[in-house]
Amino acid sequence: MTLRWIALACAIAACLLLGLAAGEQWINPFAAGDGLEHMILWELRFPRLLTAFAVGGLLALAGAWFQVLLGNPLAEPYVLGVAGSASAGAVTGLMFMPESAWIMSAGAFIGAWIGIVAVMFFSHLGPNRMLLAGVVLAAFWSAVLALLLALLPEQGLFRAFSWMMGDLSHSDLPVPLLLLAWVIALICGLILSRSLDKLLLGERHAEALGVDVKRLRSRLLLLASAVTALAVTAAGTIGFVGLVIPHLMRLLFGSLHRAVLPASAIGGGLLLVLADSAARTIIAPAELPVGILTAIIGVPVFLFLLLRRR
Amino acid sequence: MSAIIKLADVTVTRGGKTLFSGLNCAMRAGEVTVVLGPNGAGKSSLLLALAGLISASGTIELHGKPLSAYHRMELTTQIAWQGDLPPTEFGLTVRQRLELAAGESGEDVESTAATMDIAALLQRPLGELSSGERQRTELSALMLRDTPLWLLDEPTAHLDLKHQIHCIQMLKSQRDKGRAIMTVLHDLQQAMAVADHLILIDSKGGAEYGAAHKLFESRKLTELFDAPLTQQGCALIPDYGDCK
Repeated sequence: MTLRWIALACAIAACLLLGLAAGEQWINPFAAGDGLEHMILWELRFPRLLTAFAVGGLLALAGAWFQVLLGNPLAEPYVLGVAGSASAGAVTGLMFMPESAWIMSAGAFIGAWIGIVAVMFFSHLGPNRMLLAGVVLAAFWSAVLALLLALLPEQGLFRAFSWMMGDLSHSDLPVPLLLLAWVIALICGLILSRSLDKLLLGERHAEALGVDVKRLRSRLLLLASAVTALAVTAAGTIGFVGLVIPHLMRLLFGSLHRAVLPASAIGGGLLLVLADSAARTIIAPAELPVGILTAIIGVPVFLFLLLRRR
Repeated sequence: MSAIIKLADVTVTRGGKTLFSGLNCAMRAGEVTVVLGPNGAGKSSLLLALAGLISASGTIELHGKPLSAYHRMELTTQIAWQGDLPPTEFGLTVRQRLELAAGESGEDVESTAATMDIAALLQRPLGELSSGERQRTELSALMLRDTPLWLLDEPTAHLDLKHQIHCIQMLKSQRDKGRAIMTVLHDLQQAMAVADHLILIDSKGGAEYGAAHKLFESRKLTELFDAPLTQQGCALIPDYGDCK
């Protein structure tokens, strides 16, 4: 187990270096001078790398929480329709203020919270019915989004699609805010970790071991939704990280949340840093949507570990 | 000796249907109370109500104080409940499950696992266990809970004969150590072997409590289960000859 944590620490260092070095122009972080290379490294790539790390970590944390909350290993941060409502909000903003740089983030944030409030109405139902309500709400938001995209002027379509597939190039949220959210979310997760472990045994057994399941579920739903809203606002909808990273970390570090949550917060961050580095390098100077890369990098790694475990 | 838990005029309702009403009983240290009745009569619901996991009308007092006045964490130091563990998909191992049950009690997970023959399974995920292995894990988890009152929902279900016997012996030894135990059983021989008191819950909403030697009689049990008692079921019943 200690070896795995050491390996994770090495992976952090390697990914951060790669994230700094990779791009249209490869730059050695240890040999950058004071001029243009220094500016590219520390004013462009470093903040973007930190944004990617924080967003990836938040998505993975939210995924781990939703999986336990809903008792379903297929759950991910967008399962209850928050991504759909955030996207609808972002596109609505784009429709009315196409010139504004921050309007998609603002629209996404408002849209995400409308989605969260809608889900909250169903939070008193059991996990299965809440999941069903969330899936139906997601379908509703998808329909709204399709309608908005049909009405969106042609010049806004590329920006909308790019955002919807994950876009770290236009994040409007300050990096310190995202990093602070990452730290707070992780601390909250660790405080709840023992109760989350007990919830893995089912609601009844968790209650019998002293967990106030109703209160825990409300807190988890709010926490996971808020974290998802923040991540979507910062970088659009980036799939895969929230679904697979928690499972990957369970394979590597076991099921207890005092290990799964920190490992997911770090692992999700690293995956997004790697994916973003690849996204802005492969067809440079153009960029690929980062959501495509998260799946292309993450799926083979996950499947390999899954097969090896068997 | 004063009662650990006392029920007065207890009615349990689930999904709008009254399962049984008017149950009065008291459990003391070192006594085993066996709950008998047909499927769906409300036996498991009674245990859930006593564990504070569902609500019931009437009065339930734990150490003379209403059950509802206890904080959930406080209840975990007084009552341990064992029920079917739902399937879990997240790779939790047997050891981790037992450690969750042991909590801060400091009870020894490995020696408890050894007593239920699951020491070799400690690293296995719960999802990979057979029903019997899972049941033994749950019984081990219960044994790690050093509470005055145990509530067991069909503890011998899924167990092979050796482990059924082991389970019944374990209940007896815990009773002898002063534990108050209420258990749902379907096997009348096992019930006869451990019961000091019986609670009979019928499918018409009636519930009766009394000493085992008074309630264990073939006519009552034939009526309760609405079935003729077979030799397997009656072998240990004192008036077995009457029901042949």
